[in-house]
Amino acid sequence: MAAFEYRQAEEIRDAFARYSVRYLFIGKSGAILLGFPDTTQDADLFVEKSPENGRGLVAALKDIGFDLNQQQSEEIVRGKDFVQLKNGPFDLDLVFAPDGIEKFADAWERRIEVEGFPVCHPDDIIASKEAAGRAKDRESLPRLKSFREYWLRNR
Amino acid sequence: MTSAPSHGFDADHTDLKTPQDWLAEFDAAARRPLKTRFRYAFIHTYKPVLDDEPYRAFDTMEEYRQWCEDHLPDWLGYGRI
Repeated sequence: MAAFEYRQAEEIRDAFARYSVRYLFIGKSGAILLGFPDTTQDADLFVEKSPENGRGLVAALKDIGFDLNQQQSEEIVRGKDFVQLKNGPFDLDLVFAPDGIEKFADAWERRIEVEGFPVCHPDDIIASKEAAGRAKDRESLPRLKSFREYWLRNR
Repeated sequence: MTSAPSHGFDADHTDLKTPQDWLAEFDAAARRPLKTRFRYAFIHTYKPVLDDEPYRAFDTMEEYRQWCEDHLPDWLGYGRI
């Protein structure tokens, strides 16, 4: 599996737009879209949990090349909190209920658009990492918080 | 919704708490086009266990976090503090 590329982010953006999928880049991949200089392994998407959005999401993922069987498709439509996909052209984490963010609608209202990519506000990215409380998140949080200050001053 | 930030060469450095080397990195990243930032940011290395299944789904985030703690090596950093 090769690293996630810009053209693959474009494929997500374009396929999700075709099916009107509501989603946001979140996590370190979202921060990188905002300008945060760091490294990460895969893309994390915060997807609105609803049957209609789930159906569009499954169709878009299949268009991109993810190999979803009937059961997996149904699980995504029905609504899991977290789905990890390594059965397509790149790795993708789908998060339907990130820690630290109460409702998708709230994060959607605060979203930032970067070249057509919808991205969580830095405050939401930080809130989700703080709430997750993982060792790897705790290590990156001080620098991410400094970046938030920089981003707010220079936006 | 807000549009993308337009930070760049005349970045505001009034934040005295942020280490200077971090500010320099933020400035450098702000100068790079998004495509270039992608090339520098996304890497791929094999993660044991995590990368060994093509599909996983969890009903709740708590279930996912617990699975990570039970199955992944500590050094990957997915365990909660």
